[in-house]
Amino acid sequence: MHTKSWHSVGPSLDECIKCNICTSYCPVAAVTDLFPGPKYVGPQAQRFRENGQPQTPDHSVDYCSGCRVCNEVCPTGVKIAELNARARAQIVSEKGIPLRNRLLGRNEMLGKLGHIVPGLANFGLHNSFSRVMAEKVMGIARQAPLPHWSTDGSFGDWFKKTQAQRLKSDKKVVYYHGCATMYYEPFIGKATVAVFEHNGYEVLVPPQNCCGLPMLSNGEFGAAADYHQNNINKLLVYAQAGLDIVGTSTSCTLTLKEEAPELLDMDSDNAKAITNATWDIFEWLRERHELGELKTDFRQMNMVLPYHAPCQYRAHRVGKPAMDIMALIPGIDIRESHARCCGIAGTYGYKKEKYQIAMDVGAELFDFVADQGGDVEMTACDSETCRWQLEHGTDLPSRHPVEILAAAYGLYDLEKRQLL
Amino acid sequence: MSDLLVIGAGLSGLMAAYTAVKAGMRVTIAAKGLGSMHWGAGTIDVLGYTATQPELPVKRPLEQIQSLIQQNPQHPYALLTNEHIAQTLATFVALSKDIGVPYGGATNPGDNVLLPSPAGAARPTYLAPKAQLAGDLSRSEPMLIVGFEGMRDFYPELIAENLTHLGYPARAAFLPLKLITNRRDSNTVQLAQGLDNKEQRALLAAALRKIVRPGERIGLPAILGMDAHITFLAELERETNSPVFEIPTLPPSVPGVRLYKAFRGHLQSLGVRLTAGLEVISTQTTAPNGVPGAVQWVESATSARPLKLRADKFLLATGGILGGGFNSDVNGRVWETIFNLPLTIPQERADWFNPGFLNPQGHPVFKGGVKVNASFQPIGANDQPLYANLWAAGNLLAHSDGIQERSVEGTAVATGVAAAQALSG
Repeated sequence: MHTKSWHSVGPSLDECIKCNICTSYCPVAAVTDLFPGPKYVGPQAQRFRENGQPQTPDHSVDYCSGCRVCNEVCPTGVKIAELNARARAQIVSEKGIPLRNRLLGRNEMLGKLGHIVPGLANFGLHNSFSRVMAEKVMGIARQAPLPHWSTDGSFGDWFKKTQAQRLKSDKKVVYYHGCATMYYEPFIGKATVAVFEHNGYEVLVPPQNCCGLPMLSNGEFGAAADYHQNNINKLLVYAQAGLDIVGTSTSCTLTLKEEAPELLDMDSDNAKAITNATWDIFEWLRERHELGELKTDFRQMNMVLPYHAPCQYRAHRVGKPAMDIMALIPGIDIRESHARCCGIAGTYGYKKEKYQIAMDVGAELFDFVADQGGDVEMTACDSETCRWQLEHGTDLPSRHPVEILAAAYGLYDLEKRQLL
Repeated sequence: MSDLLVIGAGLSGLMAAYTAVKAGMRVTIAAKGLGSMHWGAGTIDVLGYTATQPELPVKRPLEQIQSLIQQNPQHPYALLTNEHIAQTLATFVALSKDIGVPYGGATNPGDNVLLPSPAGAARPTYLAPKAQLAGDLSRSEPMLIVGFEGMRDFYPELIAENLTHLGYPARAAFLPLKLITNRRDSNTVQLAQGLDNKEQRALLAAALRKIVRPGERIGLPAILGMDAHITFLAELERETNSPVFEIPTLPPSVPGVRLYKAFRGHLQSLGVRLTAGLEVISTQTTAPNGVPGAVQWVESATSARPLKLRADKFLLATGGILGGGFNSDVNGRVWETIFNLPLTIPQERADWFNPGFLNPQGHPVFKGGVKVNASFQPIGANDQPLYANLWAAGNLLAHSDGIQERSVEGTAVATGVAAAQALSG
């Protein structure tokens, strides 16, 4: 009997039985024929992508958004999305990477730069002249929902500043905040620290780097490998000490656990230690709850809340833990989205040639939200770029489930996005 | 925690989940991927051919099951009475109507209906989606089989010629593919979704009206809309003043996808959580030692540590060798992928096949599977249940050859319902 999955990325293509289920469920192929579908660019084209092949047989693979619906529905376990990611990296290594994609891959650098003078950076990026220029010069769609730098300091600034007030405890947890929480949405980090501490955990925030996912999705595997190695170096001591490394960005946690080691063939014991120590926050909270350790002293939250589980949960393959936990909150009426993808897929929908595809893919989700009626004041989703896309597509604010949870504990103002 | 974890999201798993949730259980479904409903014709084949008369389609399947059982007393149908099988099929028909994908059968109740296959053969089935029923070959109207130039996987001339050869008058016609899509390339599901569009539907209806002759019925590939399917069918019949029917295509099967989507949506509305992409990789059981053991949990692969899936009861509905319930190696060893249950399949490759690819007796490798008792519990060598809280249903059951017998869906419906009744009773 198998003790672990016998598939690895490359050989998994031999499991393909050509049933076309993947193409039938692919949200991108459904809205554009620039992408012929996962079966064609994945297991089919892969047979022509042997090492030493002078040219990649198929450039349409660049239109794969990486949502992994194909992996989820495949009856035989072909790792289609990963085949596609590797094929994109092959194209990048042949043809080089456009400046735009190199830039979009560098979340951490952009975050740091903007953080120096965030007000100016926001003005510089978000005025309509700059957006038109960015579209013309670099191909970043002018309407795409780019984030704003935090103007009241980074998450790191706040954490340092409030060190004296932070809970000290024998129970400790390592928080992996990711670039978006650090520079754009520090309130997600504050809500998270509040939830950890409410449950009696001391929060450690060691130095950490970007997980490298934006580079992986743009085919820059070399740079991504450097980032992953840096994270291993910085986090290993905590993993070895038996501490859990918990993140609030479903894409970062996925990358630390599986995407980086699998796509980059980084299977050292150290990489495995990071995989095994890393948790997505709601996966971790659900585990606490199953062990009877989660506090459930929730306030009544009278709200209708459309919830969209981000695509990365599909890749985590842990079900929908945020739904499991939010369902414990009294009064909350969670409406589960079955939409396949919001469309944004990390940096995919930022690109001029893909913006409309992303909006068309997201229509399924936007329509679902609209169908929930006039009582809906906000939506929820665990992933930052998906929330920005949801807000862009629905004109409703969107929150991370950890904000909902912090509010239910009475620690957080959902509207102002600040601790009480 | 769930009362029941169903492993597998094919027809037997969904029917079992439906039956159990209706009996008041809390049900979860975990599946590695989406399965065989997406490949089949979307029909419910109960019994199409028997080994004794391999050339002759079965006329009245429920009656013929009795002689099948005489030949093959261990067949899964033998675990049920005829009335019970009929009840499970009636449950399916009622459900199909409730969820908006109505099924029906032959004009004479209890008969198989012969429908045109995508190769132009006469294919016996017991229940078919409403959209396929006007293809009933016992009807006298000649057929106009319409395809689309450049559409892969559907060949109207082949179908019309073969049907005519069999004595069912038919002629073929082509319409341009760009009448129904602007895409360069589409599969059947994408074409069907495109035909949910009202303008596209009107264009097709107008084009058909021009080529159909009075008294003909029109056969089209099974792409007549996904969500707007029922409306579209009525529109076409009204606009062309002719009966219209769908002929299944090569996979992906639009009729199967329609049924799956409607069924899944209904189960979700009943509170069943269905998660695909969960591959069960290990199990925790107490060791059977003369007495039946118990399944404590199963574990599925995640991006890091295995996920424990707990339930009071477990139902295995992972399918046969095609569905993924079994795996094999080059030497001929075949094993059940989750619990490593004993199989009746020969474990030597030389013993897998009878001579002749289309041998009317079928092949031992396809007939083998998991042995169960009368309550659908997998049993060991001493005929005792291996685990007190494990049941099995569908095409992984031993002693039937669904493809040879044309009994894949009938077995799935009958055993899916009956196993869930046994475990919830």
